[in-house]
Amino acid sequence: MLSSLPASFREYGLSADVRTLLLLRKVIDRGLVKTLGDMYTVLRGIVVKEPADLGPYTKAYYRYFLDIAIQNGDSLEDAILRSETFEKWKTQFLDEADKDTNYTQEELINTFLDQVHLTHYDIKEVINGKEIFDKEDPDLKDKEAEGEYDMTEREARKLEKMADYSDLSLEELLERLEKIKEQQKSRHEGGSHWIGTGGISPFGHGGAAKNGVRIGGTGGGKMARKVIGDRNYYPVDRDAIINDNNVDAALASIKGVIEESATENLDIPVTIQSGLKRGGLFLPEMRSDKSEKLQIIVLIDNGGYSMSPFVKTVQELFRKMKTRFAHDLEVFYFHNTVYDVVYKDARRTKPFEVKRLLKYDKHYRVFFIGDASMAPYELDSESIQSLQSIVKKFKKTVWLNPEPLKYWSFTYTIQVVQQIMEMFPLTPNGIERAVQHMNKKSVV
Amino acid sequence: MAETTYWTGSEKYLCDTSLAQAFHMARVLGMPLLIEGEPGTGKTELPIHYSNSLGLDLHVYPVGSKSTVDQFVAKFDHVKYLRDSQIEILNAQREEKGLDSRLSTGGRNPEVLADYVAKGPAALAYSSPNSVLLIDEIDKAPREFPNDLLYALSHRKFIMPESGEVVEISEEDMPAIVITSNREQELPTAFKGRCIYHYIDFPDKDILSKIIEKHHPDIADEVVNVAMDVFYHLRKLGLERAPTTREILNWLKYIKQSASKEAIEKIERLEGLGALIKTQPDMDKVQRLLRVDPNNFSGPSLN
Repeated sequence: MLSSLPASFREYGLSADVRTLLLLRKVIDRGLVKTLGDMYTVLRGIVVKEPADLGPYTKAYYRYFLDIAIQNGDSLEDAILRSETFEKWKTQFLDEADKDTNYTQEELINTFLDQVHLTHYDIKEVINGKEIFDKEDPDLKDKEAEGEYDMTEREARKLEKMADYSDLSLEELLERLEKIKEQQKSRHEGGSHWIGTGGISPFGHGGAAKNGVRIGGTGGGKMARKVIGDRNYYPVDRDAIINDNNVDAALASIKGVIEESATENLDIPVTIQSGLKRGGLFLPEMRSDKSEKLQIIVLIDNGGYSMSPFVKTVQELFRKMKTRFAHDLEVFYFHNTVYDVVYKDARRTKPFEVKRLLKYDKHYRVFFIGDASMAPYELDSESIQSLQSIVKKFKKTVWLNPEPLKYWSFTYTIQVVQQIMEMFPLTPNGIERAVQHMNKKSVV
Repeated sequence: MAETTYWTGSEKYLCDTSLAQAFHMARVLGMPLLIEGEPGTGKTELPIHYSNSLGLDLHVYPVGSKSTVDQFVAKFDHVKYLRDSQIEILNAQREEKGLDSRLSTGGRNPEVLADYVAKGPAALAYSSPNSVLLIDEIDKAPREFPNDLLYALSHRKFIMPESGEVVEISEEDMPAIVITSNREQELPTAFKGRCIYHYIDFPDKDILSKIIEKHHPDIADEVVNVAMDVFYHLRKLGLERAPTTREILNWLKYIKQSASKEAIEKIERLEGLGALIKTQPDMDKVQRLLRVDPNNFSGPSLN
């Protein structure tokens, strides 16, 4: 059953595997999946693991179950209108709909979405609603007599069908699921039969409900619509050079440099105090001590055009770090490479000798941020020595480079620097690897 | 039988349909529900109101930076154990000396190890069928906590330390487990894999007005509408800490002390802005932006 689902969802960068299927099977077994809308809800709970999965998930779902491909930059409406599934559905829908009503395109799409995202909860609500409605409306008879209450026979049948349909057995359901898959394979047959007369949705005909019988499903459709156009529901590009959009992802990666440790220690003063109070009966009192250590030196190359686009974001990154963890964070600036001084301010007017820098605690972690691209003569022996002495003193030193990785091998100075210390791209992924690299060496 | 009815909220709590469905699914499957979302969107409120409205036991474990699985499941109280066993010795000595007053161990018997096991919320929830277990703000935990928890949650059974007592629960009686997170820390993938995930979306106007009605049924609609306009506008300014549901509810609590007409004026003057804006840079930004463009609120500007 649905064995191609994991592979198809993985194409969208989602994590789905055989466990997803097993869990899905369990959910179906428990009777939580009766409609396509249920499938959307249920799979979302299983597959989506963070808000950034919602966009890809919605796309994958529309592609897999409805054969609707949502391209980048598409709105959900565009994609639906373009699809064959919608065309088929529309023909069928209009065939059976009230001939007197003229549906606008918007209404059609809304109805389509309503049907796609109809859940069995909605059906229950409709059925319950109908019962309550009937019971609570004493004027019902009069209205019917006057012909105002136009609950047609067809609608009554529809409700009946809904009730039936909520008793659908697992086997039937699986069979139907299989069927759509087959239909998708042979394209000429077009869309899915989840929707439509023979399909799984009881609302195949008749259009919107009347007389206060609310058709639900707006929830799911609305959500899907919202998700498709909103950047927040897509993963940030973790391989893009750090920018305002992915600075939070970078922050998350860099947080790994915080050293955390917790230990249970004997609280001697309290033990003695309480022991004396008890008249010499000394009982051990424990106290758990936690230490969070963040000692970072950041050296930023802010000279020259090549670096200027990144300096602001990098500063923002470390500023965020500092506000969240009030610990030792030292920022220095340099131009192209480090000779015997670095600077305390961005305008490079307050020099700070490298000799003094080397007096810092050796547990500081050092980030160089720069493109390391310069004229070969600039990276002279003095500079190389400075860099080497820093690496020697601070075991955990890395260089983050905003230059795209593919150009690194063409720049001589990058290669030289790479021989002195590990270099990583200035991307969320790169930062993550840099931090991992630092943690790996953390045998002190 | 497990409590698997479909729950859609109570008088005080509006449970969004998709959240209600995710919660239902989690309970039917006996899996924990992991809720994420902006602070102040009612993540913690869900299990509280759920247990209240159905009269179920609620066990809460607020996660902090020092949380350990011991605290969550059960802890053996070594100190009490040591004390009581020393008291036994003392009592024996006193008896020898012919003193009849005995020191009490408070009904605990050092021979019975189970007397010294302090059960945490997890063990308590697992020993009462159909309870509700809330693990609040798991992202505040030390990094290894979620993984330790994972082991605990994936077996429907805990073994008590030292005493070896087994606390076990059948799948039918599984407590409804709700875990909340503010996403301050990424949770391990394996951990998320064991949970049903739900991201609480920020409510739109329709839903927000319903939420407001549940909390402040006495406020006139016009007032709520004006307040919501201001509120959504503030959210759009791109503040560091955008105001959320909790903030507007608090703000309205302040606003509603005045009569409708006065209240609208108050809103337009942005009185009590401190309830909405929580950081100084944000406050500066709001004041700056509103001065530049006083027509933003179709009313008199600030000051």
